Amino acid sequence: MTNLKYVGQPAQRVDALDKVMGKTKYVGDMSLPGMLFARSLRSELPHARIAKLDVSPALKVPGVVAVVTCDDFVNHGNFGFPVSDMYMLAYQKVRHVGEAIASVAAETPEAALAGVKAIICELEPLPAIFEMEKALDPDAPQIGPDRKDGMHPNFLSHSPVYKGNPVEKFKECDVVIENKYETVMQEHAYLETEGGLAIPTPEGGVVVYLSCQSPFIPRNDLCKTLGLPADRVRVIVPPVGGSFGGKDDLNYQTAGQVAALALKAKRPVRMTFSREESIIAGYKRGAMHMNIKLGADQDGTLRACKFNSIYDSGAYSSQSPFTGWRASIHAMGAYRYDDCSVDIDTVYTNTSYAGAYRGFGNTEVCSGIEQAIDEMADALQMDPIDFRLKNCLKVGDVTPHGQLLNESVGLTDCLLAVRKMSDWDRKRKEFAQQPASAEKRRGIGVSALFHGTSLGAEGLDEATATIEIHADNQVTLTSGLTDYGTGARTVYTLIAAEILGIDPERIHVHNPDTNTAKDSGPTVASRTTILAGNSVRVAAQNLIQNLDLAAADLLQCDAFQIHRVGEQYIGPSEEPVSWDAVVKHAREMGLVLSAFGRWSAPEIHWDEEKGTGTPYFAYHFGAQVAEVEVDTKTGHTDVINIWAVHDIGKVIFPQGAYGQLYGGISHGLGYGLYEDLDYQEGYAQAHNFDTYLIPTSMDMPEIQGDFVEATFSAGPFGAKNIAEPAMVPTAPAILNAIANANGRRIRQLPANLERVMLGKELTKKGSPFSCKVALKIT
Amino acid sequence: MQINFTLNHKPVSIDAPTDITLLTLLRDHFKLTGSKEACEVGECGACSVLLNGEVVNSCLVAAPSVMGCDVVTIEGIHAEDGGPNDLQQDFITKGAVQCGFCIPGMVIAGEALLSIKSDPSRLEIREALAGNLCRCTGYMQIVDAIETTAKERAGKQNPQKREN
Amino acid sequence: MAKFDYVIAKTMEDAVHLLNDADIRSIPLAGGTDIYVALRVNPLWFDRLVDIRRIPEMSVISQADDQVSLGAAVTFAHAIQNPILQKTAPFLVEACKTIGGPAVRNCGTFGGNVSNAAACADSLPALVCLEAVAHLRSSKGQRQLKVQDLVTGPHKTQIAHGELLTHFTFKTPPSHAKSCFIKIGRRKAQSISRLSIAVIGSVDQAGVVDYIRICPGAAIATPMLFPEVQALLLGKRPDKEIIASAADQLVAEMIVSTGRRWSTEYKEITLKAIAERALNKIFLEDGQHAN
Repeated sequence: MTNLKYVGQPAQRVDALDKVMGKTKYVGDMSLPGMLFARSLRSELPHARIAKLDVSPALKVPGVVAVVTCDDFVNHGNFGFPVSDMYMLAYQKVRHVGEAIASVAAETPEAALAGVKAIICELEPLPAIFEMEKALDPDAPQIGPDRKDGMHPNFLSHSPVYKGNPVEKFKECDVVIENKYETVMQEHAYLETEGGLAIPTPEGGVVVYLSCQSPFIPRNDLCKTLGLPADRVRVIVPPVGGSFGGKDDLNYQTAGQVAALALKAKRPVRMTFSREESIIAGYKRGAMHMNIKLGADQDGTLRACKFNSIYDSGAYSSQSPFTGWRASIHAMGAYRYDDCSVDIDTVYTNTSYAGAYRGFGNTEVCSGIEQAIDEMADALQMDPIDFRLKNCLKVGDVTPHGQLLNESVGLTDCLLAVRKMSDWDRKRKEFAQQPASAEKRRGIGVSALFHGTSLGAEGLDEATATIEIHADNQVTLTSGLTDYGTGARTVYTLIAAEILGIDPERIHVHNPDTNTAKDSGPTVASRTTILAGNSVRVAAQNLIQNLDLAAADLLQCDAFQIHRVGEQYIGPSEEPVSWDAVVKHAREMGLVLSAFGRWSAPEIHWDEEKGTGTPYFAYHFGAQVAEVEVDTKTGHTDVINIWAVHDIGKVIFPQGAYGQLYGGISHGLGYGLYEDLDYQEGYAQAHNFDTYLIPTSMDMPEIQGDFVEATFSAGPFGAKNIAEPAMVPTAPAILNAIANANGRRIRQLPANLERVMLGKELTKKGSPFSCKVALKIT
Repeated sequence: MQINFTLNHKPVSIDAPTDITLLTLLRDHFKLTGSKEACEVGECGACSVLLNGEVVNSCLVAAPSVMGCDVVTIEGIHAEDGGPNDLQQDFITKGAVQCGFCIPGMVIAGEALLSIKSDPSRLEIREALAGNLCRCTGYMQIVDAIETTAKERAGKQNPQKREN
Repeated sequence: MAKFDYVIAKTMEDAVHLLNDADIRSIPLAGGTDIYVALRVNPLWFDRLVDIRRIPEMSVISQADDQVSLGAAVTFAHAIQNPILQKTAPFLVEACKTIGGPAVRNCGTFGGNVSNAAACADSLPALVCLEAVAHLRSSKGQRQLKVQDLVTGPHKTQIAHGELLTHFTFKTPPSHAKSCFIKIGRRKAQSISRLSIAVIGSVDQAGVVDYIRICPGAAIATPMLFPEVQALLLGKRPDKEIIASAADQLVAEMIVSTGRRWSTEYKEITLKAIAERALNKIFLEDGQHAN
C-alpha cells in the first residue's frame, strides 16, 4: 500500500464545480412542461381518529387536478421497516402533528394550498401521550399497532447488553456513582428541505426523483403500495442538499404521494416542503432518558456499569428499534468492565417521531456516559484523560459484549494526541486556579467515543458497484450507496483511479438510479466508504484483469511481467503503451469492458436475548477536547476551541474527511448548547431557523483536527469511517468543559443559557397555534 | 408590473406580479435556480444575491423594488471564460463544498465581503458569513477559501509584496 | 392576480398621499425584513406597499448643532459606517452590529425596527436612552413623539394608519458621556435578544454623575427609561456599591412592571449582571466615549 497516487493524496470533490457555479439542480430546481405542484394536508392534532375525510371540494378548486388519500394505495399504503406501521397517507388515525392525510396536485403551489384548505377533514381527538415514561402504563392510549404477543402496543423494542452481575459487583467497588441524563429531539436542519418529483411513464409506471439516501427502499415501497412491478418504478437520487439521516421514511411518503398523484393526473408532479413543514412533519433524533450507574476501584479501574434507558420513538417506529440497539452497544462507552448490564426500551408516544440522525443512538448515549465517566474521574480525583487512558479499549481487549478486538483500535493514540494538541495538562491546572469571583470562567473537557462501523448485526451487510469503459474511454461507476453531500463520489473515484491507474478525471460516478445501480442496502451508518468503497475496489480489480490480458497481448509478454506507471503499461522489452491503446486493444479482442464488484462485510452475530456477541466488524475511535468560556452571570457558553482526533483507518479523501469532521462537530455543538424544538403537548414551538437555532459561522470555533490511521485490514486500503462519529463526542466534551469551568454539571441537553446559569430549564408555556398556522403557510 | 433592472450585468425587462419576492422573480420568472429557497424568513442566506453590490436576502426583497437596480446572482459570478472565478475555484480547492445547497449564498457573501475589505481576518470572514447557515461543513473550509482568495487578490494588486 | 400592489414614492409628500389613499390600504415598505416574514404567517393586512426607500431625505443621517437627525429608512449597515453616529451614539452603532447578519443589516431600517416594535428590537434601548424623538407625517400634518412613548407594547405603536415615520432626532449627549450596549443571545450571531441593556452617562470634573440614561431591552413590554434608577446614580460618585444598588433597583422595577413570569428567575440575575457590567464599563472602566 505504499506509493499511493490518489488514495490519501490531496484531491478535490468531483461534484464541486457545478455547486460553486450555482448550476447543480436539486429537486426543487427541476421543472418540467405541464408539471403540477403538490401539497399535503397535515394533521393539526397529535393523536386523532379521522372521522371524516371528503376531498371532493378540493377537486372543485380552480387549478386542482388530482387528490390522493390512503385509499389510492394498495393496503392503504402501509409500509415501514423493521415495523410496518406507516402509511403513505394517514389511514384511520393520525399519531403526530404534521402527519400527512391527503395530497393535492395543482397547476400552482397556491392552488394546491387552496385545495388542501378545501378538503373536509374532521379529526376526533384521542387521548395522547407525550411523556415516554408513561407510554407503557396499562391504561395508556394505544399508539403503536396491534400486536398478538401480549406486549403493550406502545412497546417497540428492548435492547440489552449483559456481562456478569453488575449489581453484585457494585458492592465490591470503592466508588459508585449514579445519575440521570436526558436528551431532547434534534432536527437535522439540512438546508435543502424534503422533496420529490414524479413523472409518469408511457408504460403506466413512474420515475421519481427523490431527495433521499437509499433509493431502493422507496422503489420497493412504491412497487408494493402502488401495485406496480419493479420494472415500472424507477427512483433516481438527484443531488441532495444534506440529509444526515433525515430524508428517508418521511420522504418515502413524499415519493408515494407524488407518484400516486402523477399516475392519477398523468402529469409530472413535484412536491417541495416549506421549512416549517420540514421541521413540523419531519422525523427527528429521538429523545432519550438515561440512568447510569458506574463502579470503580480507588486505583481508577472501572469495574461495573448499569445503564437503563427509555428511548422515545414518537408516533412511528421508523428506525428506532435499530437506533435503540446501536445505543445499547455503545451505551457504556469505549471501556472495559468486569460486569455490566444495559437495558434500553424503545416506546411510542405522540411527540413527532424519531428516526435516523447522525450517530444513531450513539450520539444520545455518549452525551450521558461520557459525562458519567468524567464524574467518576472527579470522584476518584483523577485526571479525566488519565482515567480514560487507564480503562479504554485497546488491541487485544475483549469488549463488554464479548468481542475480541484484534486490530485497528486507535483510541489511546487519539486521547494522547488531543491531550497534547490542546495543551490539556497546563490548562487543567491553570483553570483550577481561577479565582472564585471570576464571572467569566474557562473550562476544558474531553470526550472519547467508539462507533461501530456499518450496520453491524442490524442486517445483511453488502454492497455492489459496477464499472464500465465507454466508447470514448470515459469510465463510469455506479454504486447502490448514494452521496448526499458526504463526498462518497469522490471516495469511489479515488479508489477506482488508484486501482485502474488512471486519471480520476476520466471517471464519472452516475447519480444513484434503481435502474442502473445494484441494491446495496441503505446509505446509512457511515458504511459507504467501507462497503461501497470495497465494492468499487473489487469492481475495478475485476475490470483490470481484462485490461491486463489485453496489455499482455499487445506487449507480447505475460501479464505478471507488466508494470504500470501512471497510465503507461510497460512490458519487458517493448516501448510502453498507453492505457487508451490497451483499452482499444481489449475492445478489438472482444473483451468485456465492464465489471461488477460485490463486497460482503465480515460475518458477525448478536444474541438479542443474552445481549452478547460481535455487534460490529470494526470500530471507529476518537477523542475530542473542548475549551469553553462560561459567563456565570448570563449562562452564555462560548466554545473557544475544539481539538478532534479520530481513528478512521486509512484516510482516502483527506479534504473530505476533514469536512466531515468539522461538520459533525457543528451538529454536536448545536446539540450540546441550544438545539431544541421545545415540544409541548406534541407541538413543536420552533418551526424555522429563527427559532430553531443551529450554529452560525460565529458560533463555530477554529477546529484543530487530525487523524490516527489504525488501519483495518478488510477496509478499502485500510479505511474505516468518519461521518457519524464526528459529532458523537462533541456535546459531552462541551458539557464536561462547562462543568470544569463553573462546577455545574448539566445532565439535561441542551446546555442553554438558563440551564448553565440556574442549573435548570425554564419553560415558556407554548401553544398549538403557531404550529397550526405554520402548516398552512403559502 | 413591468420591472426593468440589470441582472447579471445585462439589462432586463420583465412583466411580473407585484406581490412576489426577488427570490421568486429570479427562480420562477428568470429560471435562475442558483439562489436557493431554504427558510424564506431571512435567516439562512441560501437566497443571497448582490443588490447594488451589497449582499441581501432575496426572499425579503420585494421584486418590483429592484427597478433600476443592479442585481447579481450566483449565475452572474464566474471568470471571463464562464468557468469558476478565483473565489469559486478556492471553494473547490479548499474543500468548502459538501452538499452545496448553501454554497451559492456563501460565494455571494464572500464576494460582498471582498468588495469592501481586501484583507479580512478570519473573524471578519466569519462575521461576514454570519447570515449564511451551513449544516455540512462547520464553516472551516469556507473560511479557508475566502481567506485564500483575499490573499491572492491582494497579491495580484501588489505584485512586489507577493514576491516578499 | 397579485395579492397586493406596489408603488414607489419619490417624495415624502408622495408617500403621505399614497399612504392616505382611502380606497387602498397602504403601508410603507422600507427594508422588507419584517414585512415579508410577517406575510408568511399573518392574513394580509394591506393592499399596497408604498416603497419609501427612494425618498432621498429618508436615508440621511445629519447633524446640525446639537441635533442629530436619523432618517427612518437608514439601514443598520449604513448606521454602522456613519461617522456622526459613531461619534454621538456609539452604543447605537454597537446595537446595530448585533442585528441579524450582513444581509439583514443591509436592508433593515430604524423606521422598520421601531414601528415593528418587537420587545427584542435591538435599536430601541439606545434610541430610548438618547430620548430620540420620532417624527410622523400624515395628510393632517406632522407630530412628534418620543420613541419611548411611540412604542406602547410588543408590536404596538401610536403610529396611526396613513402616518409616515419620517425620521428621528436626538440631542447629542454631553461631550464627556460614555455609552455601552450589551446583548445576551442564545447564539453569537443572528440572535434574538434574550435580554439587553443600553446605558449612557457621564461624570463631571469632580467625578460625580451628571448625566445618566438606562434602558433595558427585551425585559419589559415597552422600552423605557428608569428615572428612579437613574436618580440613584445622579449626583453620586460611582463605585461598585452604588452601581450594584442601581442594578438591584432596576431589577426590582422590572419585576414590578412585568410581574413574576416564566423567565423572571433568569432575567432578574442576568439583568443585574449586565446592568452592572454596562455601568462599570462607562463609569469605572474604559467605556466608549459618546461624542
